Amino acid sequence: MPEDIYKPLLMGYLDSELTAIEVLRMEQHLEQCPECRRELEEFRKLKEVTQNMRVVTPDARSWEEYWSHVYNRLERTIGWIFMSIGAILVTSYGVYSLVAKFLLRSDIPLVVRLGIVALVVGFCTLLISVLRERIFMARMDKYERIKR
Amino acid sequence: MNLTDEGSIIERCKKGDREAFASIVQQYMKPAYYVALGYVGRPDDALDLSQDAFVNAFRHIKRFDSSRKFFPWFYSILKNLCMNHIARTRRRQESSIDQMAEEGPVPIPVETVDPEQNALRRDLEARVGQALQRLRPRDREIIILQHFQDYSYQEIADLLGIPIGTVMSRLYGARQAMRRELERLGVK
Repeated sequence: MPEDIYKPLLMGYLDSELTAIEVLRMEQHLEQCPECRRELEEFRKLKEVTQNMRVVTPDARSWEEYWSHVYNRLERTIGWIFMSIGAILVTSYGVYSLVAKFLLRSDIPLVVRLGIVALVVGFCTLLISVLRERIFMARMDKYERIKR
Repeated sequence: MNLTDEGSIIERCKKGDREAFASIVQQYMKPAYYVALGYVGRPDDALDLSQDAFVNAFRHIKRFDSSRKFFPWFYSILKNLCMNHIARTRRRQESSIDQMAEEGPVPIPVETVDPEQNALRRDLEARVGQALQRLRPRDREIIILQHFQDYSYQEIADLLGIPIGTVMSRLYGARQAMRRELERLGVK
């Protein structure tokens, strides 16, 4: 077998994950390959250093509440879909009413009609801008800039 | 849970059964968290992203072929979410250069399963956490699963949807990188 095949197998040998035949082949190879013996020793040391170490996991309560968080998010998604549909319908009706009741009426002076358009566009721009900023702030860690 | 059981539960999920989906979530929430932690490095973000990934998975469950294992499909959703999160975080950090210069990456919290703790051991844990943080997400993921959470090669292969040979070669590269980082931090 070419040398490169033994490198990954070293991992299986170190972690006792090889079959009996693979172990035998690996041991035969190790007897004649000082490079693999040295690497195996270094990987053993790494295993010793991290022995009994675990990445810190969330506490038991977080696992108990895990599903309810997923469930709430699922529900919220449906809520957002309905709200978006509602908003689109109401806004479309609003735009239609605005055009029909004010902008197409010739008895209202042009300057007033233009004023209404500017007012509506300005209000919507401000509303979207504030909402976007709020959503961005909510996603950020509020204490990110505070030095601990 | 074997593939047949899982397949029938997934079929129930496709009909909108949330209780069925709850059992899938219970089954995979921990590996999902560890995979996310491997990518993003921060426990709170990992928990959050893993939950978001389950929400996305449920929304698109009809596209999933229930004769296959759930986790490898879910894994691609989770990985995409994590990569987007990393890109967003990087953009935010780039927009506040001062903060990036003052703070290094946050080490991954590591603890020893041993009541007899001492200062030396805590120092070692901190260095191991730093070394982990410096690895590429792809390496960190497999190191966390195998080294720190004791998943077998077969379990890792099933979770990530890769052959055992690939698990071994990825582990080989990841351990080499981990060794280099530990040496750089003075751990011999």
